[in-house]
Amino acid sequence: MEARFECEIDKIETGVLLQDISFTYDLGLPQETKALSNINLEVRAGQHVAVLGHNGSGKSTLAHLINALLLPQEGNIVIFGREPSDDEAIWEIRCRSGMVFQNPDNQIIGTTLEEDVAFGPENLGLPQSELRQRVDFALEQVGLTELAQRPPHTLSGGQKQKLAIAGILAMEPSCLILDEATAMLDPASRNDFMDLVLRLRAERELTVINITHNMEEVLLADYIYVVHNGKIALHGTASDIFDQAELIRSMGLDVPVHIEIAGEIARLTGQPLQAAEAFSLVDAIQAVNCRLSDPPQARSGLTKNREAGQTFSPSTHDEFPERKTLVRVRGLSYTYNPDLEQSVKALSDLSLDIYEGEFLGIAGHSGSGKSTFIQHLNGLIRPEPGVVEVMGLDVSVKKNIRKVREHLGLLFQYPEQQLFEETVAADIAFGPKQMGLSPAEIELRVREAAELTGLEPALLDRSPFDLSGGQMRRVAIAGILAMKPDILVLDEPTAGLDPAGRDELLNYIQRLQEKGQTIVMISHDMDQLAGLCDRILVLKDGVKYLLGTPAEVFETEEAIVSAGLAMPRTKIFLEQLSKIDPSIRTDIFTPKEAARELYCHYQAGGEA
Amino acid sequence: MGQQIVLGQYVPGSSFLHSLDPRTKLISAILLMILSLSSMSAVSLSVLALVVLGLMLLSRLKIGLILRTIRPIMLLLLFAFLFNLFTGKGEIIFSYGYIVIREDGLVRAIKILVRLVLLVLSTSILITLTTTPILIADAIESLLSPLKRLRFPVHEISMMMSIALRFIPTLLDEMQKIMKAQSSRGADYDTGNALKRARGFVSILVPLFISSFRRADDLATAMEARCYRGGKNRTRLKVIKYSRLDLLFAAMMILTAVAVYALPIVFPGL
Repeated sequence: MEARFECEIDKIETGVLLQDISFTYDLGLPQETKALSNINLEVRAGQHVAVLGHNGSGKSTLAHLINALLLPQEGNIVIFGREPSDDEAIWEIRCRSGMVFQNPDNQIIGTTLEEDVAFGPENLGLPQSELRQRVDFALEQVGLTELAQRPPHTLSGGQKQKLAIAGILAMEPSCLILDEATAMLDPASRNDFMDLVLRLRAERELTVINITHNMEEVLLADYIYVVHNGKIALHGTASDIFDQAELIRSMGLDVPVHIEIAGEIARLTGQPLQAAEAFSLVDAIQAVNCRLSDPPQARSGLTKNREAGQTFSPSTHDEFPERKTLVRVRGLSYTYNPDLEQSVKALSDLSLDIYEGEFLGIAGHSGSGKSTFIQHLNGLIRPEPGVVEVMGLDVSVKKNIRKVREHLGLLFQYPEQQLFEETVAADIAFGPKQMGLSPAEIELRVREAAELTGLEPALLDRSPFDLSGGQMRRVAIAGILAMKPDILVLDEPTAGLDPAGRDELLNYIQRLQEKGQTIVMISHDMDQLAGLCDRILVLKDGVKYLLGTPAEVFETEEAIVSAGLAMPRTKIFLEQLSKIDPSIRTDIFTPKEAARELYCHYQAGGEA
Repeated sequence: MGQQIVLGQYVPGSSFLHSLDPRTKLISAILLMILSLSSMSAVSLSVLALVVLGLMLLSRLKIGLILRTIRPIMLLLLFAFLFNLFTGKGEIIFSYGYIVIREDGLVRAIKILVRLVLLVLSTSILITLTTTPILIADAIESLLSPLKRLRFPVHEISMMMSIALRFIPTLLDEMQKIMKAQSSRGADYDTGNALKRARGFVSILVPLFISSFRRADDLATAMEARCYRGGKNRTRLKVIKYSRLDLLFAAMMILTAVAVYALPIVFPGL
């Protein structure tokens, strides 16, 4: 069987070649939009290429072109020796390259896993015995053999994406295209998925084209193209690209944390980074250490920053007991399907207070009970057993529910999917209207909420469905803010946004908190939580595992890893450095502050 | 969400009936339907009742589970029974004021009741309880395949059916999610008058429609990316096949049909 697989992969040097490709949607119509212009791109067979770009940069169009799902209006395109000139050639191109799409649910066709994997090979018209062989082999490769007869909707997001890979593997392609395949996965599933991709690439000699805005994935690739506004803005190896950290950031993309810190230190010390100097974590530490222990003499004026460095001290518990308790949770447990055999204990004996004005982060692996917990807070799930009180109102009393939901605004993941009104203003007004407020008051609240979330007044009369993803999400948040809740609860508010959209949204959230809004936020991004929150609750298998300030929660790596989470990346960097110099503080969670603190630390040390 | 959504009423099992080809079951169910609707004699109905009893045993399902399938049509049964009970000619066997029950009416009412019950039981045992929805779709595709020559889109219809089956649980999950989200914004789907409730459903249906269109679009692209180009030259992993069991079952069904039609002629008095 192995031999048969190999002989089907022809040895063609060039896998994918795009020359002067341009693509315009709705060409010739009034609403025509240029997605790509003059793209030149080459992927050698067996290469792993990452295509990086913000949402709307045209990178997804590029993926569709490579799979002949769209055809270019200008330029030449050759995919594994084939040009998409006629139906037969297009079909062959699609047979040779498989594509994993962003939304795990929307690419599963079969009613069981097995049937879904068989879908592609069935279209190739293979005989039944061969279909059986390929399906079994593909499911085994991705580790889903045992679930072969299950209906796909019972899988987790990560499992669904692996199923998509199996469906492609069964077609024995030469090339795997990932179109933001990990954007909707949590970090643990994302790592798991990328490990699988790398393993398959090595074993099956696959060409991999990963279209993404995730920096960590980009670092896995051999070669990187950065797409910006429909053009290739940069291309090169990872170190070539990250030499241009400023440029990358200006295109609304992230720079890996260690490169950011090293770059910041280089700026402060006036010793610029050399190519490839800070590419890996080890290199970056080397670069930072070298600059700090051997500084140039000219460093006037910067010493004063020591003062600023001290303001980053972690907040302590002591300030909380005096604060007013807004939410009181006592002895909360919850079991899904308690009568059935497959009952799942989602929460057990959870007790917690949420104080006025605080920013509480909630972290935990998938299935740790985060979502179940926040649904208890506004009575979507009744506590049994246990007590949940919001502003003194018991949520298990039915007549309190309406009041509770006015006090505590809850926003689910991907909230833009719940918009429904004809205009942005009407959608934001939905909540206040349900509260029975006067039209004048509703109008006022809509304007205020729009302002708080940075929505321009001109947008208010537009349809919410004409807006960008990031804007739609802010409309959804405004819809909750217009109810003026005392507590704002957000379930992964930045999921699926690109770095620019994410930073913008976090900015607004941070501003809300500065105005005194109490916020509870679930996030998978530990850097985000550590940088923003006063306290963090870590759930593990439905149990309160850790609760404290970011410095306390991220004190020991062991505990965090055992909860299925990762340490914040800034913290990892500082921990590494502190192995060289133990006096370095490690309780800092944003790259900029870390760089300043390191610089000041050196300055103080240097003068002593 | 963690909950399992049961599609249709399929009960997994490995009985004789479970292992029959879905086409056999579909045709047999139609045959039994015609038989029970077309026979009016007591002897024919008794034969059919015996056959249905036999099917119950062959399915190895709990009797209570099978009888529960009658529940949705209880009202219809009661209405049909009463309607026939008070009509007809013949000897009066009971009268109380305006209420008059004649022998003829009573017999017909009982027969109608038995016919309808047999009809529902035979289809639920043969189809809904022992055949997965996807196999039913396959059976329909296979049985309709001669119509392909008339350019009837048999493959497309069966593909639509199976995609619908695949997405029903996903859409139910999504609907729940949207309801929770709108409830969090103060929407109330339980109280208020009909108009208010109907308006409430707009806040669920609009997002659900929009997401369904997006899903349909995504799915079409995903299917094309996996080389789908209609039913032409397409093979199947699971091919439904007739076995010896089907032959046996078909023989039983033919025998039933002969008995149902012949016995009233042989014993005209019954």
